Amino acid sequence: MKLALILLCILCQFFLVGGQLLLKKAMSPSAATILHSRRTRFFVGGIGCLTIWFFLWLGVLQQIDLSTAFPFEGLNPALLALGAWLVLKEKLTLTSWCGIAMITIGIVVVSGS
Amino acid sequence: MTAVNVEHQAPAVPYRFGPFAWFFNPYVQIGIGAILVAISELFLKKGASAAPQWGNIPAGLGGMAALASGWTWAGILFYILSFVSWIYVLRFVPLTVAFALINLVHVLVPIGAWLVLGEQIPIRRWIGIVLILSGIIMVVGPVAKAEEKL
Repeated sequence: MKLALILLCILCQFFLVGGQLLLKKAMSPSAATILHSRRTRFFVGGIGCLTIWFFLWLGVLQQIDLSTAFPFEGLNPALLALGAWLVLKEKLTLTSWCGIAMITIGIVVVSGS
Repeated sequence: MTAVNVEHQAPAVPYRFGPFAWFFNPYVQIGIGAILVAISELFLKKGASAAPQWGNIPAGLGGMAALASGWTWAGILFYILSFVSWIYVLRFVPLTVAFALINLVHVLVPIGAWLVLGEQIPIRRWIGIVLILSGIIMVVGPVAKAEEKL
């Protein structure tokens, strides 16, 4: 697989996780109390990210087999945990990090089999 | 210590009492959402398989051909329903916990493909499924204990 395709696969996951973080920000009560327009902006941004993810991912799936592309989905839980920790300031225990690592490995094993 | 958002308290869940209270429990909604996504994936797969083959046209247009199948539209409908459920969940549940739970999809889809589409599950995939489930329990377990009141 070409390096460009691998990078594209990883970029896809960044858009997916970014979209989820924005949606969470849009739906969280702290955003509800602030300006309505800002909340809408988060929501639109989130949907926008997910739309970009969807078409990029379709593009990837046209180029390579589903079984080759799918292990990259394993990046999601790890990236998302990092994002939630850094951006949303959600606290994670050591057990949570271990659990996320296991989900990641599990997805790679499921999709690689 | 559990994975709780420090920025603010989660808002109160609506309809905490009454015969349909369970339906508004965000954790029940995650389960419903995961099942909706799994159903949509199975429908989309059926729709894509039913798509007519149009010779050597680009793969992207081949994907559009799936829209000719009613299964594909059913898949899209279920995906939209799951999105509504997901948006509701995000209001109440920390993203880390919600996202860990939604990984149930990675378990439900292979099992659904096995039961409904008759696809085989090799032993390696079963191992992966067990790993995912254990990971979910590790992330969600402490939170579930803290939120038993829900």
